[in-house]
Amino acid sequence: MTVQTAVLPKLAVNVVGLSKAFGERVVLKNLRMRIARGEFVALLGESGCGKTTLLRALAGLEPVDGGHIEAPRLPAIVFQEPRLLPWEPLWRNVSLGLPAPDARDRAVAALTEVGLTGRFDDWPLKLSGGQAHRVALARALVKEPELLLLDEPFAAVDALTRIKMHVLVKTLVARHRPGVLLVTHDVDEAIVLADRILIMSGGVIDRDYLVADYPERRVLRRLLLADLGVLLTDEA
Amino acid sequence: MPPQAWLTVMPWAGPLALVTIWEIAARLGLIPPHLLPAPTTVLGTAIGLAVEGTLLTDLLVSLSRAAIGFFIGGSVGFALGTAVGFSRLAEAVLDRSIQMLRSIPFVASLPLVIVWFGVAEAEKIFVVSLAVMFPIYINTTLGIRQVDPKLLELGRVSGLDTAETIRRIVLPGALPSILTGIRYALAVAWLALVVAETVGASSGIGFLALDAREFLRTDVIIVTIVIYAVIGVLADGIARWLERRLLAWHPNYAGGRRK
Repeated sequence: MTVQTAVLPKLAVNVVGLSKAFGERVVLKNLRMRIARGEFVALLGESGCGKTTLLRALAGLEPVDGGHIEAPRLPAIVFQEPRLLPWEPLWRNVSLGLPAPDARDRAVAALTEVGLTGRFDDWPLKLSGGQAHRVALARALVKEPELLLLDEPFAAVDALTRIKMHVLVKTLVARHRPGVLLVTHDVDEAIVLADRILIMSGGVIDRDYLVADYPERRVLRRLLLADLGVLLTDEA
Repeated sequence: MPPQAWLTVMPWAGPLALVTIWEIAARLGLIPPHLLPAPTTVLGTAIGLAVEGTLLTDLLVSLSRAAIGFFIGGSVGFALGTAVGFSRLAEAVLDRSIQMLRSIPFVASLPLVIVWFGVAEAEKIFVVSLAVMFPIYINTTLGIRQVDPKLLELGRVSGLDTAETIRRIVLPGALPSILTGIRYALAVAWLALVVAETVGASSGIGFLALDAREFLRTDVIIVTIVIYAVIGVLADGIARWLERRLLAWHPNYAGGRRK
């Protein structure tokens, strides 16, 4: 296995021949994937198909059995849970791992960007679920990452908050232009946010859709759902 | 009075009533004074002892013994607990022995300790240290083990080095448990000191009580018991104050008062 930290000029991620098995169960089978800089890629797939394993491998959190990964050494991740340090005020959470002497200013700017003005010194346990997710997003973006990994970040928030988060993510990504890999179960979320949608199945990237190729979203939605084993009747 | 105020006053009603009944009973001669003198007599004795006798010196001696013993035992317990919490190797080497020592009631070790150190200062400090060490050790180990692995993973992807991970994630995460250990240890320290001082001492509150028993001075004995109680309550207050300050982020401790 080789993990190379240098990244090709136009790519945020280049994965070749990635394999991983948990005992007998093969989750990544000679997998190939590329994400261009500034490109928003959504990864869909059934539960247990290895989406999250792939994302964690990109972050260096999951050892792989073989293959080649080129990705930034410290990508920013937003997990399914906000994972805030409850004993540190918000700005300290956002500046976690930020070495700069202007860490507070940058954290304050990032918190302002996600709409948490004036709450820089609050404790995380005082936040609502949606607010905590905003802080996690600020913490990821404050480092100006070349690659942003989103591991089902909105799966646990309520439907309204999720829509607000979609708008926020879209705005922020448009401004900072990182390469993004979003792992999700939600077909509509993928269509709203991504430039390109990948379907993962059997340990490989099975399908690859450019969202721009489908001016009619319903068509794309139907195709994606069919790939995931959901067949819609005409009325649906 | 608003109901809130009643709730703060009510807990004191019981003890106050008890002391009043005790006073009346003693004054009416219902309780023989050599068994239980009246509270006012005890108070008078306490003032007398403080002004003319050695009460304040004895108190200071006892407090410093407790403090030194607490510091030594607490440091050793914290150091061992940190080592065992972090390292499986340290656990394999140390934990069994510590757990075996812990199962010995410290009172049972007293005769041996007296053979080693005599009835000198070292004996009392040793007994207190021993008693304090175990609750701190256990709660430190437990606290470190219970730190959320998801937060440790966050530290890793945020590029924290080991020292930063310990300072910003492991120790704060273990702190509630460590403080529980401290609170428990403060109570045990006091208990250990009482035992050590009543076995053999030439100064300190325990000595005062022992001396009073020789002369059947029930009032002095009660003074020492009350002092032990008051200091126990104060120690607990200190521990709670520490919790409120250090765990201000935790809604269960501070109610998130920081704005």
